[in-house]
Amino acid sequence: MRPHPTQSRRASTARWAPPTLLLVLAVSGSRGATPTHAPVIAAPGVANPAHIAAGGLPPPGPVVRNPYRGDAAVARAGAKLFVSMHCSDCHADAAAGAVGPNLGDGRWRYGASDAAVFRSIYFGRPRGMPAFGGMLGAQGVWVLVTYLRSLPPPSDLPTERFTRH
Amino acid sequence: MAGFLAIAAIASATIASAAAGSAPVGAPADGEWPMPAGDYAATRYSPLDQIDPANAPRLHPVWSFSTGVLGGHEGQPLVVGDTMFVVTPWPNVLYAFDLSRAGYPLKWKYRPNVSRAAIGAACCDVVNRGAVYADGKIIYNLLDGHTVAVDAATGHLVWETKIASVADGETVTMAPLVIGNRVIVGASGGEFGIYGWIKGLDLATGRVVWTGHNLGPDAGMLIRAGEFHPPYVSGTQLGLRSWAGDSWKHGGAPVWGWISYDPKRDLLYYGTGNAGPYDAEQRAGDNRWSSSVLARRPEDGTLVWAYQFTPHDSWDYDATGAMILANLTIGGKRVPALVHFDKNGFAYTLDRSTGRVLVAKPFTHLTWAKSIDLATGRPVMNPAMQTGDTKGDVKGICPSLEGGVSPASPGAYSPRTHLFYTSTNNFCMDYTVHRIAYIKGTPYMGVSSPYTPGPGGYLGAFIAWDATTGRVVWKDEEPYPSWSGALVTAGNVAFYGTLDGWFKAVDARTGKLLYRFKVGSGVVGAPIAFRGPDGRQYVAIYAGIGGDWALLAGDTLSADPTDLRAPNPLVNNLASRTSQGGMVWIFGL
Ligand code: HEC
Repeated sequence: MRPHPTQSRRASTARWAPPTLLLVLAVSGSRGATPTHAPVIAAPGVANPAHIAAGGLPPPGPVVRNPYRGDAAVARAGAKLFVSMHCSDCHADAAAGAVGPNLGDGRWRYGASDAAVFRSIYFGRPRGMPAFGGMLGAQGVWVLVTYLRSLPPPSDLPTERFTRH
Repeated sequence: MAGFLAIAAIASATIASAAAGSAPVGAPADGEWPMPAGDYAATRYSPLDQIDPANAPRLHPVWSFSTGVLGGHEGQPLVVGDTMFVVTPWPNVLYAFDLSRAGYPLKWKYRPNVSRAAIGAACCDVVNRGAVYADGKIIYNLLDGHTVAVDAATGHLVWETKIASVADGETVTMAPLVIGNRVIVGASGGEFGIYGWIKGLDLATGRVVWTGHNLGPDAGMLIRAGEFHPPYVSGTQLGLRSWAGDSWKHGGAPVWGWISYDPKRDLLYYGTGNAGPYDAEQRAGDNRWSSSVLARRPEDGTLVWAYQFTPHDSWDYDATGAMILANLTIGGKRVPALVHFDKNGFAYTLDRSTGRVLVAKPFTHLTWAKSIDLATGRPVMNPAMQTGDTKGDVKGICPSLEGGVSPASPGAYSPRTHLFYTSTNNFCMDYTVHRIAYIKGTPYMGVSSPYTPGPGGYLGAFIAWDATTGRVVWKDEEPYPSWSGALVTAGNVAFYGTLDGWFKAVDARTGKLLYRFKVGSGVVGAPIAFRGPDGRQYVAIYAGIGGDWALLAGDTLSADPTDLRAPNPLVNNLASRTSQGGMVWIFGL
């Protein structure tokens, strides 16, 4: 499940709203862009070869920005949300890894960008990461992203040394 | 051992007719291992005696096989005729090895399409505790809430039944048991706020015949008029009135361990897991029947008695460990006993007809209670160890929530030595909980619980236990928590494995180490013994660290470059001795 481009842009700028409202906005994002028309399904035939480039070059899309990037106060709020939304019960205190992977090691299964982390939390991931977008809305998810991005990756993790010389 | 022999006799009389269809399959023919604990009584005792303390030092590996799967390899293989069956952790591959041919090649393998989503709903790694053989079928559970029956000869699916709902936090890791026409199954999810249950399926079709909840209203628990006789308590709606408000609805009490069965009394026995959430103040009351043993009729699930080991569980003390049935002499009297090593650190000897406690003594260091009052059946609690959201950080609780023994590590009983054998743990915890809301499909926990070593300078031990007096007879200390199941044989050899990857044979009378071999990954499975088609005795064991240790020693995981974990302070050098793996080993003389 990939976020519809319009939906993501709206999501990134949405003000806080009750979760159900945000969920409606999220699933009806295309209507937000063209309110009076049904979505237009693109005809076969690709105008821009970059859209089908092999090797994983992504098509140009909207820039999904974290509105709180680097905001320490939001990161602190996110640390609380990480506990109250049960994230810590699966990812451990300080996101150090338990049922779900370590989220503080600076390494990411699904991409290191804020947008990728947002997608993981908003839509869930297949190996048992629940989707929280419906409950938290985009704003809540960005708060969590900001918290996770604030965790300093330990500098010495790639090497685990068991002997002292 | 009249009772034990009676069970064996009934069982072997029926095994021959099992192929005919509806007849129950019982204890193994001498030398087979057709059910999780070897027999209905869950003794994990093998009548084979070729391997003995004199020749055990000559044991050596004769075969090994990589399952191709990582994750905690709990449980045990089965051996039926000349075939060995192995179930892996998720994705729950089933292998059938031909023991009659050199190198034991596969006859077939079965690969179910198990949902990936179940991985996140499994509290403690994607383990599976094994299969059961009956009526020509291998029956086992898939993590994503299905029970499957596979033709033991061909590997083709016979039936598949959805028994549990991953969306509601239910996953299935337990080892089923077949009793008569019933396949007995249960679900994990004590960490996900489930409404715990056990089910009886029809052996021929997989149809769910009955579902008995472990808590809540009497009707849902299959309490039938005049048939429920718990020792120590009486009255109706005990599973409802012992929970504040409707907290029972997400109260947990899962079934993720083992089932045993007494044919003479026609009672099946199983333990239930912890109550949820971990904040006990959100569920005032005894919280029956979480952390309990329940006795039911296999045919229709009728609840006959129940006894709660840890009322108002405030420490995650599941009682899902094995219920071992043996006839013991206590104070000069023969008693039909049920022996259980609980996570809470007490070993209980109950009368399995009534559920009354005969003996209850600590088998490891504990601080949460002083003793068990035999008159009331209740623990004499240490008030300083009560936890809850108003209690702050409660320090020095022993055992930890991993248990004085893990329920994943079933013990064994030898009618030769009259002793029980089990892995044990020796570490404690500090415990902080916070109030928590129920969010479907996410953990209903809210706990932080760092561990500290127990006294004595060791973290685990393999012990021999006298259940008639409640006393440790001998103890083999281990540097790490001891997490494997136990096996004991008529040759007076006991077997277990260690978290740092040693497979060990010890003298069942003294605990003396006879043989050890490094099997490549930590052992969290349970050994079995069988007689091969060549007439010789073998012992099989899984290697493959995991289960809780996939979470606790995250630095033993190496397969995902995007998931690096720091060592656990309790066992900070465990990863220097073991890493994940998945191997089946066979040892012989
Ligand atoms: C039920 C357990 C569970 C809960 C609750 C949970 N997660 Fe996860 N999470 C997982 C699992 C399992 C994965 C790995 C999914 C996969 O690889 O497909 C994961 C993956 C992720 C990822 C992607 C990591 C990467 O390396 O790309 C992020 C980000 C994440 N979770 C954040 C959160 C946040 C924030 C919360 C709370 C709102 C949360 N999780 C709650 C189990 C959980």
